[in-house]
Amino acid sequence: MSAPPTPATSPHAAGAATPGPLLRVEHVQLGYWVDDGFAVAVADATFAVQPRERIVVIGPSGCGKSTLLKAIAGFVPLVSGTISLAGRTSLSPGPDRAVVFQEFDQLFPWRTVLDNVAYPLRVNGRRRAAAAASAREYLELTGLTPAADRYPHQLSGGMKQRVAIARALALEPAVLLMDEPFGSLDAITRARLQRELRAILDRTRTTLLFVTHSIDEALVLGERVVVLAGAPSSVREIADVRDVGPADSPDYAAMRVHLRGLLQIEHEGADADGAEHDGFV
Amino acid sequence: MASSSAAVPRRPRGALLRWGRLPAWLRFSLLLAALIGLWQAYVSISDVNPLLFSSPRDVGEAFYDGWKDGSLAETTWTTLQILAEGIGIGILVAIALNVFATLTQIGEDLLALLTAILNPLPGVAVLPLAILWFGLNTRALLFVIANAAAWPIAINISTGFKTVNQTIVAVGRNIGLSQRRLVTDVLAPAALPYAITGLKTAWAFGWRTVIAAELVFGVAGGEGGLGTFINNAKLYLLIPQVFAGLVTIAILGVLFEAVFRVLERRTIVRWGMKTS
Repeated sequence: MSAPPTPATSPHAAGAATPGPLLRVEHVQLGYWVDDGFAVAVADATFAVQPRERIVVIGPSGCGKSTLLKAIAGFVPLVSGTISLAGRTSLSPGPDRAVVFQEFDQLFPWRTVLDNVAYPLRVNGRRRAAAAASAREYLELTGLTPAADRYPHQLSGGMKQRVAIARALALEPAVLLMDEPFGSLDAITRARLQRELRAILDRTRTTLLFVTHSIDEALVLGERVVVLAGAPSSVREIADVRDVGPADSPDYAAMRVHLRGLLQIEHEGADADGAEHDGFV
Repeated sequence: MASSSAAVPRRPRGALLRWGRLPAWLRFSLLLAALIGLWQAYVSISDVNPLLFSSPRDVGEAFYDGWKDGSLAETTWTTLQILAEGIGIGILVAIALNVFATLTQIGEDLLALLTAILNPLPGVAVLPLAILWFGLNTRALLFVIANAAAWPIAINISTGFKTVNQTIVAVGRNIGLSQRRLVTDVLAPAALPYAITGLKTAWAFGWRTVIAAELVFGVAGGEGGLGTFINNAKLYLLIPQVFAGLVTIAILGVLFEAVFRVLERRTIVRWGMKTS
């Protein structure tokens, strides 16, 4: 196999062949049990993801965006509504929706970097040699080749997240799910990984659903941005951000102000100082 | 604040002959030699009754003879065999209880209750009952050792499973692991630091228990392990042999510590799951 594979050759990308959305989220309601009853986190989420599209779900802390991603991944049951992937509903966790989590400890500490990427491929039926070869390609793609034989505890936070990304991409998921994967990184590493992820996805053309609370991250990575707000939350708008241009363009600034307004953030001046790299700046 | 001209901090040194700079094996060898020297000096100078206290020289001879004529080797082998069997049974019991505990709530409660009651009980305390039930034989010993080993292992495996990082469990499910492989490929290695701790404790408890039980058996004229060897030597007033038995026990203890250290270095220390 030659790197990078495209979703069309991927075993999980059946949906790519049929026209229409790959992933549908329809009137999904989510919640959780607390001591004295049931709390609704997401009241109504409806949106669709087209094949090869990059969707970013954005919302303030506690709006249920992570829960929504976990529901798509199959970890959280729906209260009502449907989530369908290429026509399939009642999704249980599976590698067709590979997840990259925020936590640095999502790697298997007892496996080397190479094996962290190769092992899931073996689990899914790939022969040992084929899995290792494929893993090496994705390590190359994510700039991890020199670290292939290291153990996770010998890596920096940014490197660990790269491994998690390589592992998820190697599974050639129908949709790549990312739950604030750069949320625990310093601003410089985060900006670099955002640029690199965009370049990698340009090559693999993987369909992406990315959850974040950072407007800038949404504008850098997303083609469309699903704004989730309110308590309980619902989809406020689905904004097309394909043409906003670079960060210093007027369109970008206008979109930023618009999204801030949707998220009901106070005027710039009212923001706390030093929040520049994080949150809604 | 350190100024730019601040001296590089000096490496701390031992006061005596730069003791701290010597390699560890040499430091400990020298200390051990000094202690043996003191021991020999005490026996030579004080004229202590040799029926109460042996010189390191006599102990050395008894130790050498014991290994040469096979009496120490044989008894050591007997003890280690029983110990390994007993701990093996303990491990099986601990695993079975944990499987039951993972599957059902009642199993979990049972495990919590049994470990709470039986773990604080010194292993050798059930020896009288074991002798009553099984007689003066190996089965009584096995029962006592298995009882001493099972509970620390059961507790530690249980804690290990409960404290597994939920993110890697989620990753395991996400990459499509079956329930069985989730246990063998994710939960088991993730709980390994606890399992090793449990095994170390089980070994220590089992070791103490088997020697103590054998001392009692020796009195009763049962079959012979290291404890019996010591007890018999005492009966015949072969005091250097008593010491030789103790030295054997100490050496075995140190050896097993070393084995565990190597095991840890190759697994959980290497994987960053435990700092060495």
